Amino acid sequence: MIAFLPWIPLAAALVVLFSPAKNERLLKTITLAACSLCSLSVLVYFLNFKPEGGFQFVIARPWLPAFGIQYKSGFDGINLTLCLLHALVSLAGAFVACAPKERLKEYLFYYLVLTGGIYGVFTSLDLFFLYVFFEMTLIPLFPMIGIWGSKNKEYGAMKLTLFITTGAVLAFFGLLLFYREAGIHSFDLVQLAQVLKARGGFSTGFQHFVAPMLIVGFGVIASLWPVHSWSPIGYAAAPTAVSMLHAGVLKKMGPYLILRVAVTFLPEGVKHAAPWLSILAGIGIVYAGLAAIRQSDMKYMVGFSSVSHMGYVLLGIAAMNSVSLSGTVLLMFSHGVMAACAFAAIGFLYERTHVRNLHDFGGLAKSMPFLALSLILACLASLGLPGFSNFVSELLVFIGAWRQFPAVVIAAVFGVLITAIYLLRAVREVCYGKPNPRWAHLKDAQGFAERFPFILLLGALLIAGIWPRVLLRVIEPAVGALLS
Amino acid sequence: MNLALLMPEWIVLGILIVLTVFELLLVDNEILYKRVRNIILFGGLASVALALIATSGQTGSVFNGTVIVDPFGTFFKLLFTGALAAVIQMSRSFFKMGPEKTHEFYLVLWIALAGFFLLVSSNDFLVFFLALETVTLSFYILTAYLKKDSKSIESGMKYFILGSLASAILVYGISLIYTVAGSTAFPEVRQAFTAAPQHAVLIAAACMVLAGLFFKVAAFPFQLWVPDVYEGAPSPVVAFLSVASKSAGFAALLRILWTVFPVLENQWLPVLPVIALLTLLYGNFGALVQTRLKRLMGYSSIGHAGYLLLALSVGGKAGLAALLYYLAAYAVTTLALFGVICAAEPYLKSDKIEAYRGLGKRSPFLAGVMFLALLSSAGVPPLAGFSGKFLVLLAAVQANLNWLAFIGVMAVALSLYYYLNLVRVMYFDESPREDSIPVCPATRALLTLLSAGILAAGLFLAPVLSWAENAVKYLF
Repeated sequence: MIAFLPWIPLAAALVVLFSPAKNERLLKTITLAACSLCSLSVLVYFLNFKPEGGFQFVIARPWLPAFGIQYKSGFDGINLTLCLLHALVSLAGAFVACAPKERLKEYLFYYLVLTGGIYGVFTSLDLFFLYVFFEMTLIPLFPMIGIWGSKNKEYGAMKLTLFITTGAVLAFFGLLLFYREAGIHSFDLVQLAQVLKARGGFSTGFQHFVAPMLIVGFGVIASLWPVHSWSPIGYAAAPTAVSMLHAGVLKKMGPYLILRVAVTFLPEGVKHAAPWLSILAGIGIVYAGLAAIRQSDMKYMVGFSSVSHMGYVLLGIAAMNSVSLSGTVLLMFSHGVMAACAFAAIGFLYERTHVRNLHDFGGLAKSMPFLALSLILACLASLGLPGFSNFVSELLVFIGAWRQFPAVVIAAVFGVLITAIYLLRAVREVCYGKPNPRWAHLKDAQGFAERFPFILLLGALLIAGIWPRVLLRVIEPAVGALLS
Repeated sequence: MNLALLMPEWIVLGILIVLTVFELLLVDNEILYKRVRNIILFGGLASVALALIATSGQTGSVFNGTVIVDPFGTFFKLLFTGALAAVIQMSRSFFKMGPEKTHEFYLVLWIALAGFFLLVSSNDFLVFFLALETVTLSFYILTAYLKKDSKSIESGMKYFILGSLASAILVYGISLIYTVAGSTAFPEVRQAFTAAPQHAVLIAAACMVLAGLFFKVAAFPFQLWVPDVYEGAPSPVVAFLSVASKSAGFAALLRILWTVFPVLENQWLPVLPVIALLTLLYGNFGALVQTRLKRLMGYSSIGHAGYLLLALSVGGKAGLAALLYYLAAYAVTTLALFGVICAAEPYLKSDKIEAYRGLGKRSPFLAGVMFLALLSSAGVPPLAGFSGKFLVLLAAVQANLNWLAFIGVMAVALSLYYYLNLVRVMYFDESPREDSIPVCPATRALLTLLSAGILAAGLFLAPVLSWAENAVKYLF
C-alpha cells in the first residue's frame, strides 16, 4: 500500500484530467476521495509503526537495474512524521481547493499532482526517485500561482520556480557525484548506508566538497537566508491551498532531504559547514522576523514568519545532535500544521474581502468568532506558547544547539520575541479593536466543508502540543539511527 | 550478397517510384489525389516500419561492402520512419489553410527519407557523400517551399549557401583521404589512419569531414545557420530538419568517429568537451532573448545539440547509449512541440511568441501538449527529456567530466526560464481573440500518441535504453 501512496493522487489527477470540466461535483469528489484515502492510510501506518524497528513497510521494485535504480519506499520515524504532516495539510488543503473558482478542473489536476509528488518525496528510499518526485512537485506550482494567484503573480511564480529549480539542479549535481563516489551502482539509501558504514564513509575531502552543495541546493526550498527571497513573494501571490501546502509541507522537503542525504552520508561535511549554516540560520531568524514586523500585508507577514521559523529548523540541523534533530523534526511538523492553518485563515478572509492589509480589518473576534479563534490559535502556536508543540520543539532545538552555537541561540531566542511582536500585533489589529463596517456582511466559516480544515489542523496542533511524546516516540529512535 | 537484407530500403525505393508515377497520373482530381496519396504515404511508412522490425537484429553488408546493415542503423531508420509519419501529419494540418500546392512536397520528403536510410547504412565515403547530398538537396527545396513567403525563400537561400560550403569542405576532406588511403571504403581508410596516425594530410582531412558533420548537427562554431533557417522554413520542415537531420548527423558522426577514426581518439577527445560546452552555452543563452517561437526552437535545438555532444565526448558504451536515448527522447519531444506549432500556426497567422497568448483558453488540448513537451524539453522528471539528461549527465560524471556536467546541470535551470516563459504566455496572458482553435482528429491522435510517448519514455526508461545499448554495441 505504501508504494501506492504517491500514485493514488497521481492516478486521481489523470482521472480528473479526462473528466468533463462541467461536472464539478465529480471532480471534487475524486479529489477529496483520493486525499482522504491517502491520509487514512498514513494514519493506519502511524498507528502500526514500531518506534524501534528502523525502516518499516519497505517495498522495492526494480526499475532500471543497470544503474541500480529501484522504486523503493518505506518509513522510518522521520518521514512518517512528515507524511503525517502532509496527510493533514493535504486533506485540509483539498477542502480549501474545492472552493468555487474558475477553471476548477485544471486547478484540482495540479493540486493532485502536487500532493502525489510530495507523498513520493516523503516515502521514497531511493535517491533517484527522491529527486524525481522532488522536482516533480515544483512544476504544478508555476501554473497554480500564475493562473489562480493574486498580486504580482507572474513574477512570484517565475521567481519561486526558478529559485527552487536552481537549488534542485545544484543538489542533483551533488547526487551524481555522490553516486559515482559510492561506486556501488546503487541509489538505494538503505543499501548505501550499510555499505558506507562498513567502509567508514566517504573521504573527508569529498564530504567537505559535496555537503555544502547539498545544503545550499536543498536549502533554497527551505528558504535559507540569503536565498529565501522567493518565499514571501511566492506565498503572497499563491492561492490559498498552494500557500498552505507550500509553507506547510513543501518547505519541509528541504530540511528533510538535507537530513536524509547530507546528514546521513556526509556527517563530516555537514559538521564542517555547520558553523556557516548556523550563522545563516541565525541571520534568517532575525532578519526575516524584523522584515515581518514591517509588513502590513498579512500574507507577506506570514511568509517572512515562515522564513524566520525555518531558521530554527536549519539551526537544529547545524547542531546535529539527537536532541536538536528531534526538535527539528518535531518543529517541521508543528510549524507545518500551524503555517497551513494561518494561511487557510488568511486565505479565507482574502477570498471574501480581497483585502489582506492588517489595518483594513478589526473586531473579527465578534463577527467571525470561529475564524478569529483559528487565527489566534495559529498565531499563539507560532510564537511558541507552551501548550503547543512549537514550544517543545523550539526548546529542544535551543537546548541541542546551545553548546555549539550559543551566540546563534541567543539571537534565535531574540527571534522568538520578535515573532511575538508581529503576531500579537496582527491578532490585535485583525481580531480585536473597532470592527470595520465594511465587513459587517461577512459570514463566519459555516458548515462542514469550511470548518473542517481548521478543526483538523488545530486538533492536530493541540494533540501534538499537549502530548508531544506521541510524535517524539517515533522521531527519537529514527534520529538516533540517522546519527549512528 | 544478400539483397534481402535491404528489404526496408527496397520498399522505400518502391514507394518512391509509385509516388512519382502517381504524381504524373493523378493531379486533376484533387480529393481523390489526396486520399490515394495519404494511403500510399502512411501505408508505405507502415510497411517500411514492419520491414525494419522484421529485419532488426540482422547484420551484413551488400554492394561490395559499401553498404552495411546493423542494429545501429536500424535504430536510426526506425526513428526516421516515425519522425516522417509525424511530419506528414503535421504537413497536412499546416497546409490545410494555405493556397500552396503540395504535390511535390511529400515526394521530396520521401526522397529525404531514402537519403537518410542510405546515410546511416553507408560504409564508404562515396556512398556516404551521395546520401548526405540527397538529404541536403531535399532540404534546400523543402526549406524554400513557401514560394510566396520571402522569409522561406531567404531561409532556403541561407541554408543552401552555408550548406553547400559545408558540403564542399566535406568533399574536399574526402578527396584528401582518397589521395592518401587510395580508397574510400571505411575499413581501408581506417587501416590507412592506423598505419599513419600522425599523417598531417590525414588529420587535416579528418578535421574537414568532422566540420561538415558538425554543420549538420549544429555544433559550435557551425551553428549560425540554425536560427535563421528555423525561423523562415515551413514548420513541418523545421520539425523534420531538427529531428531527422540532427539524428542523421549524429549517426554519421558516431559511425565515422568510432569505425574510421578511432585511432585519432587522443586528438578529438580533448576537443569535443570544449565544443559541447560552447554549443550548450550558445544555445541556452541565445534562447533567452528570442521573441519568435521557431527561432527560439532553433536556439533550443542548439542547446540540445550541446547535451548530445556532451554524451559524445564521454564516449564509451555508456556515453553513446545515453546519446541514442537522448536522441529518441528529443525526437518525441520536439515532434510534439512542432505538432502543436503546425496545428496552431495557420490560425494564429504568426510565429511570434506573443501570438500564443491565451492558447490555454483557445485550445486547452494544444496548450496542454505544448506544456508537457516544453517540460520534457527542459528536463523535468518524470518525462523523456529528464531521463535523457539524467543518463547523459551521469555518464559525464562517471567519466570525470565534472565541470562540463555542472554546466549541463545549470543549463537546465536556465532553459526552464525560457520554456516557462512560453507557458506563462499561453496560460497567464489574455488573448485578444477568444475563438477556439479546432484540432482535427488525426492531429489529436498524433499529439496524444506523442504525449504518451514522452511520458512512457520517461517512466519506462529501461526498454528504450537497452535497445540503445544494443544498437551501440555494433560500433565497437
